[in-house]
Amino acid sequence: MRFQKAKLVFRKDWREVSRNWEVVLPMVILPLIFSVVFPLVVIIPSGATKPGSYESLQKSLPINVQQELAGMTDQQVMLYFMLLYYFAPFFLIIPLMASSVIASDSFAGEKERKTIEALLATPISDSELFLGKILVSFIPSIAITVASFLAYSTLVDALCSPIFGGRLLLPNPVWIMLIFGLAPTVALAGIGLTVIISTRVKGFREAQQISVVLIIPIIALVLAQASGAVFIGPVMVGALIGGFAILDLLVFNVGIRLFGREEILARLA
Amino acid sequence: MSAIEADRLTKRFGSTTVVDHLSFEVGEGEIFGLLGPNGAGKTTTIRMLACLISPSEGSARIGGHDIRKGALEIRQMVGILTENPSLYERLTAHENMNFFAEAYGLSNVHEKQSRVQELLEFFDLWQRRNDKVATFSKGMKQKLAIARALVHKPPILLLDEPTTGLDPESAKEIRDMVEGLSHQEKRTVLLCTHRLEDAERLCDRVMIVNRGRRVVVGTIDDLRKRIGGQPALQVGLRELNPKILEIVKELKQVREATIIDSPNRLKIAVDDIESATPEVVRAIVYAGGMVLSVNVLHPSLEDAYLKLVKEDRA
Repeated sequence: MRFQKAKLVFRKDWREVSRNWEVVLPMVILPLIFSVVFPLVVIIPSGATKPGSYESLQKSLPINVQQELAGMTDQQVMLYFMLLYYFAPFFLIIPLMASSVIASDSFAGEKERKTIEALLATPISDSELFLGKILVSFIPSIAITVASFLAYSTLVDALCSPIFGGRLLLPNPVWIMLIFGLAPTVALAGIGLTVIISTRVKGFREAQQISVVLIIPIIALVLAQASGAVFIGPVMVGALIGGFAILDLLVFNVGIRLFGREEILARLA
Repeated sequence: MSAIEADRLTKRFGSTTVVDHLSFEVGEGEIFGLLGPNGAGKTTTIRMLACLISPSEGSARIGGHDIRKGALEIRQMVGILTENPSLYERLTAHENMNFFAEAYGLSNVHEKQSRVQELLEFFDLWQRRNDKVATFSKGMKQKLAIARALVHKPPILLLDEPTTGLDPESAKEIRDMVEGLSHQEKRTVLLCTHRLEDAERLCDRVMIVNRGRRVVVGTIDDLRKRIGGQPALQVGLRELNPKILEIVKELKQVREATIIDSPNRLKIAVDDIESATPEVVRAIVYAGGMVLSVNVLHPSLEDAYLKLVKEDRA
């Protein structure tokens, strides 16, 4: 395996991907909504929170979280819960969406545009090609996730610090686990599944449309937390990292086996 | 040593046999044409030779390397023009060339830049090097795809339909270039085409394939003679009367005489053109005919090709 060749594929694919507005647009808009619009929508009107509005919510939370919230005003409780817990799973949608959109363009898109044959005719090995394409899907996804997290943290701290008496809410250990531990495993799962989908479909859009279903489990997590069924604490995030790591191994195992020259060309239109 | 040797090369997709026990050899520096109708198995053959897909049966050697064992070595020594130009349209011509130059191992920056510039200038694309390929015409894309195939100076070129869809001027430029690559640079070229004009102009030898099977292989002249028959005389007259036709038919050297596509033109099949021509002309003049033109009709590759493919289908 020559890493230089994988890097070459990465550079070429990134140039291609970054010039495709169908890929770039969702990668800019969604993170902006999650990291800027969401906190503003919650923080700006929070001064009008009525006393006692969040008592029942507070009681439904795990004991350790109730202890964190002890002594806080209603406004502080609402902001603390929404900004640190409720919005957390949305930041898993960013790496999943970004990785699957880029991987769809890189794998299925190359087949659709019929550029794959000349690429496969080069003396770059299957594993070098595969690694290059994984990197181009993984690195930007994680970069966008981290950038969104930094923007979110900065905005939350800047606007909430006066409300919390100068205290900085982010980063905290759960968010660090979420962004640097769970997001990469989620991104890899998105890439692995998109690779498998891409071998079965003929075009970028078809792959992207199918990949959208990957977001459903994350949405389920958001809803489960909102209903009080689960709570995104350190144990939960740790368990999710473990679960996604196992899923990564499974999907990559299948993906690598499907990513062969013969298999790809046999499915060319 | 042959540059390309295929031995009973076979490819099956499910129950369909696309290439059926194809055997042929291509000598170094030779332009070898693979001729056949659509679906004859030409592209699949090229894909097997370029190690893109593996054969179901049989084997082939490219530059001495077995296609089953030496895929990376073969890809390094082969330049391929695929059925589609296979260019990255969101990248510029320069970015496309740089990528493939590095992919084929031209890692030295100076060597890479000078090779890319040389090829883009040769194909008249240097001025447009910083334009995205999406803005190029079909002819420009085809030229760029050929430039890409040549970027690593491969000794063997596999060209799949290089002039398809091009205007006559661009097609001629491509043909001239392929001719130059073989005759001046001694590169071996396997040319896959259904354009007989390309084969006739470029190929030292051709193999006609149909439904994956080899129909015939030989030089263009061989095929013309073997399948299209001997050359014939075509005589144009001011006026043709039945008496002249009878006299010509009775000549010893004449095998057959028929009126063709105009009431005043005769097609005369003879054993030996050189000795028969003066005899025929003299006989017509003595019979009172006024000769306007005398031409030698060579059987075309098209005649031979159509006859062979038709026979094979039957």
